[in-house]
Amino acid sequence: MSFFSEVQLDEKFGPFVAFQTALGFVPNLLHAQTLLPRVIEAQVGLESSVRLKEGAIPRIQKERVFLSVAVDRQDGYCMTADSRMLSSLGASEDQIAALLNDYRNAELSAADVACLKFCLKLARYAPSVSSEDIAALRACAFEDEAIFEAVITTALAIYRCTLSAGLGPEPDFGGQRLASARIVPLHEGARQGLSSDAHGTARGKGPYVTVPYLSAKMFAPFAIVQKSHGFIPNFFRAQALRPDLLEAELQAVDRILVPEDVLTRVQKECILLAVSAANLNSYCVAMHCNLLRGLGMPSEDGDQIAVDHHESSLSDADKALLDFAVKLGTRSREFSGEDVVNLRAFGFTEEQILECVVVTALNNFANTLQMGLGIEPDFEPPPIFEKNKVHLSGADRTRIEDGGAMHLVDTLQNADAEWVARAQNGNLEAFEELVRRHSQLIYRTLIAILGNQADAQDAMQETLLSAFKHIGAFEGRSKFSTWLVSIARNSALQRLRHRRDFESLDEGEDGDFRPRQVRAWQDDPEQFYSKSQMRQLVEKGIMGLPVNYRVVVMLRDIQQLSTEEVAQQLGLSVPAVKTRLLRGRLMLREWLSPHFTTRVRGTAQ
Amino acid sequence: MITCEEFLAEFGDYLENQVSPEVRKELELHLSQCHACRVLCDSSRKTIKIVTESSSFELPGSVSDPIIDRVMAKLRTDRS
Repeated sequence: MSFFSEVQLDEKFGPFVAFQTALGFVPNLLHAQTLLPRVIEAQVGLESSVRLKEGAIPRIQKERVFLSVAVDRQDGYCMTADSRMLSSLGASEDQIAALLNDYRNAELSAADVACLKFCLKLARYAPSVSSEDIAALRACAFEDEAIFEAVITTALAIYRCTLSAGLGPEPDFGGQRLASARIVPLHEGARQGLSSDAHGTARGKGPYVTVPYLSAKMFAPFAIVQKSHGFIPNFFRAQALRPDLLEAELQAVDRILVPEDVLTRVQKECILLAVSAANLNSYCVAMHCNLLRGLGMPSEDGDQIAVDHHESSLSDADKALLDFAVKLGTRSREFSGEDVVNLRAFGFTEEQILECVVVTALNNFANTLQMGLGIEPDFEPPPIFEKNKVHLSGADRTRIEDGGAMHLVDTLQNADAEWVARAQNGNLEAFEELVRRHSQLIYRTLIAILGNQADAQDAMQETLLSAFKHIGAFEGRSKFSTWLVSIARNSALQRLRHRRDFESLDEGEDGDFRPRQVRAWQDDPEQFYSKSQMRQLVEKGIMGLPVNYRVVVMLRDIQQLSTEEVAQQLGLSVPAVKTRLLRGRLMLREWLSPHFTTRVRGTAQ
Repeated sequence: MITCEEFLAEFGDYLENQVSPEVRKELELHLSQCHACRVLCDSSRKTIKIVTESSSFELPGSVSDPIIDRVMAKLRTDRS
């Protein structure tokens, strides 16, 4: 019995056989997921590679981590299951009782105590983990692989507890042991760790563990990542120490996130984004914002979900779905079967709700892993999210420690805000000031798309008139300059449609580009040309690029915006911008080469 | 050692200084042993420098002012 119906699966269903063999029974946590056998496969893959293997951390110690996290979360189901598992591995009744009360009385070695202390801190409040915590582990002779295993074991413990809260399975065994379980209060040390962090003291940054280089060539499963992300995020690279675990994780992603037969990919990415934001995980926020952009969601909408999905343009049903996931992901103790019933009232099927639970659990797994390993960002999170996060006051932090989700709608404090507000009230001088500030950006966007000066200047006039007409609709969710670029793009595209040489600005398959010029360049290539000759040469080269590359090179290298800003302004994913930028730059290199190589010296005409 | 193809796959991030220390080490090892990639890398860096310092497509005030003035004049007339 659980919150979800159970379906009878074939006796030969692989994951069930595996558990039957390893444990002698199939846990109710798995029975509760039979509506979607593929998610059971995902979980069993993770459990087999993380939990049921001897590694740098012995199995019995991993089970102690599971039990301690379950106790910390007051998760009755997992406490019962994990106690039984420890018992079967030979742990004494006294030790199990001590773990259920206070692990410090469990007569463990100093290293085991240090490990549990670390895992509990990571489980309780991942954002406060720093290099100091890693140093404490190293002081107890933990090497990279053991640190990695401690982190991933904690992540799996959280995955299991999130599932158990969301599925409500019956305990696998009688609950008599639970009667004696007392929840350990937060230890003084851990509390201090939290409060010092709440005031924003500098923390050691990751990555905490050194890993070997692993390319898509050497490790076939990376091909899946390459396909869905467009590149290999640090999140996956950082786990190269254990390709077997990485493979199980990628399989879990493949089983849980990729299929679209229940929830859509966009819905799942929204869940991942909203829950990551509530967990204050800026790495995962940046990643899911980017993936959503790749799936066609405008970047302002993604940013808004990261800050507060209630204010986003999602349907009421999808907002309720995110409420459900955020509550489960951050306040699992308050979660109950009633939440499942409430979500059904919005028209979601049992399968969809079950999948939402599993996606939330996977999200918490990933959030924990990222923070425990201190994985470095691939790109910046949306500025508005960071701003809100940084500006959290001590009181807000307390709320988060207590499990509250972050839902702050802060005003965007950028330099334009005051002028924008005045312009929106009809103040023409304020509008003129804004226009003058951003005229270069607008012009460069226009000339990049249109390809000639005269058209760009005409379109500029249209852009400014249109901007004033619609300024009331600007809601401050993005930067004002981003909004202006979108108006400029629309004006330019409209104009293009009337022209014959219409080139699409959309994705299109970027053909393979091979560098051809292989002659070395002179040391100081600029010296033979005047400034204006150089400029002519560059402008001519840029005008010769295909429009897709031209716009990206213009905004990144000429206007000198960051790659993330270019992506936002053009509504592209960061990897797409990176690809176009590199191609554009390499084409420019080909164009400039004859003028700057050591042997041939051309002229700038 | 990594191949030229693998080098090219990371090259964009390398130019942007966005690779991890481990990847950087691999790439630089490759660069130290591959003349073609070394030329490509050197000339690409020079290209970026030339392009970013070229002040291309600057719209001089003599061109932008009349445009902005025309727009503002139109907005003021529309209002009255």
